[in-house]
Amino acid sequence: MKILSPLDSKEEVEELIQAGADEFFCGLLEEKWHEKYPVISINRRPAGKGHFRSFADLKEAVMMAQDHHVPVYFTVNEHSYIDEQYDLVIDYVKKAVDAGVAGIILADYGLLTILSDLNLPVNLLIGTGGTVFNSQTAKFYQKMGASGITLPRHLTIEEIRRIVERGPGIEFSVFIINSRCVNVDGFCTFEHGLSDQSCFPLYRNACMLPYHISLYPQVSAEERDMGDIIREHRFLERQHIWETVHVDDHPCGACALYEFREIRIHGVKIVGRGNTLERKVKDIQFLRTLIDRLERDNLSLIDFRKSARELYQNTYSRPCRMHMCYYPEVMGMPV
Amino acid sequence: MEQALFVSKVDNLKYFEDTDEFARLYFGMEFCERLIPSVDELQEVVKFVNEKKIDFTLVTPYVTEDGQERVVRLLRKLNDIKPSSEVVFNDWGVFQVMDEKYPDLIPVLGRLLNKMKRGPRLLNVLDKIPEESVRYYRSPGITVPKVREFLLKNRINRVEFDNLLQGIDLERTGDEIRKSLYLPFAYITTTRLCLTALCDQPDRVKEVGILPCGHECQRYTFYLKNSIMTTNLIRKGNTIFFCNEEIPDNLNMFDRVVIEPEIPI
Repeated sequence: MKILSPLDSKEEVEELIQAGADEFFCGLLEEKWHEKYPVISINRRPAGKGHFRSFADLKEAVMMAQDHHVPVYFTVNEHSYIDEQYDLVIDYVKKAVDAGVAGIILADYGLLTILSDLNLPVNLLIGTGGTVFNSQTAKFYQKMGASGITLPRHLTIEEIRRIVERGPGIEFSVFIINSRCVNVDGFCTFEHGLSDQSCFPLYRNACMLPYHISLYPQVSAEERDMGDIIREHRFLERQHIWETVHVDDHPCGACALYEFREIRIHGVKIVGRGNTLERKVKDIQFLRTLIDRLERDNLSLIDFRKSARELYQNTYSRPCRMHMCYYPEVMGMPV
Repeated sequence: MEQALFVSKVDNLKYFEDTDEFARLYFGMEFCERLIPSVDELQEVVKFVNEKKIDFTLVTPYVTEDGQERVVRLLRKLNDIKPSSEVVFNDWGVFQVMDEKYPDLIPVLGRLLNKMKRGPRLLNVLDKIPEESVRYYRSPGITVPKVREFLLKNRINRVEFDNLLQGIDLERTGDEIRKSLYLPFAYITTTRLCLTALCDQPDRVKEVGILPCGHECQRYTFYLKNSIMTTNLIRKGNTIFFCNEEIPDNLNMFDRVVIEPEIPI
């Protein structure tokens, strides 16, 4: 089971590989894109941190990673592009291919169609934006030329198992740590990062903004008693949850590594383009330790879970929390 | 211009009473596989449309393996009792099954797979960004000739649109692909970590996951306000919508309007 790590610069390559990364994914922002589309990303990451600065740097990083037999995948994973963007997008992909990347991660069926026709010497991988919730969707993408798929966050372990078992013999990866999106990424049409941090309401992810929330139907004011008021207040408390926590407060699904190894999941993905090198290293080491234990120590499910939770608490100084658990069924929750 | 009525439950056939303005009925669910209608409900609705002598479109959601099985049961029955019906798919896996097993059913690309941005915050920046960016927010993926070619090759000649607050530019989308406009409710985002599920059980506030539910979405609707949003958001079940009743200037670019008398959940 591979660890797929974010990579933001050539300077990070050696340290992340030493920490235990098996594969990298990355993006790059070109000035000619940014001039026309300053708040629209070509790769699901806003301008600023989280991008390579040039294709020359990318090429160097790819070569360094290749020395360790670590492939680098390149993200061109916006959900949809329009006709007038395609010259830039295809030029961008071709430069990445020239830099030696092993594959392109994408989400748009239109882009997949076009890249398949180009017969580029790279793998075409469907990212979470491709919304593969079942094995037939996997089959659809495979027919179109995809060789790997990252499944959406919003699947249970059992649902993942069934997709892989019934799937068309394609490589599946799953999310394992960081940024537990509230909504289904590939179906979410909110635009994040519409400004820099100076305008917080435009910068902040829309799902985490504070909202005044009201419930309908409500009992009319004359008819409300104290019981109604308390009940309504409690109904609304749940609706505010995503403004009271941060979706990137170290959400984790490491307990499920046990099942993912059984299912023969190809890779586990760490979200985190733009994270500090220190955090990337910590995330990789955390997962590397657990995967090595799984492969070396022949642990029972219960012992592995215990080990994963202890290591999580020691690494991140946080307890396991249901709302930050990628696969909360492991916490004894009925599904 | 064809007018269709979209209902997500049998009881809402009541919106058809005393009117002959609708030539087509949309029936089904786009957002939650737990609300996929039963085969019996489908049969009841098909009987209704046959009596009314109107056309029929089955609407389907994104689905897990379980949901896929339920959708396939509907496709099989629909293929038997009303072949040549349309099926709106919001999951390429549903299309895959139709393509392989039910070629008489007519596939329609659903609005979840028409991935134009819909967040109402966009309106705050439209006059501050380059015109290329504005065109992106107003244009669909079917501006790309190869995308249209792919759809047509796969017998998909209709695409569904929400009534976007920023407007929709349908120039450069060709005539071969027909377009439907949904009014007045537009979806923004959807989740399987449903906050409406269990919402009336106060001791379970922080349990967020793919949980069992009691179809609380059929009882409660939440309105979300934040001044940066240019309109109210509406959380119904696992999905957030906005309501836009303003008819776009380029309505003539659509050949069908799909009326939602209620939020279709």
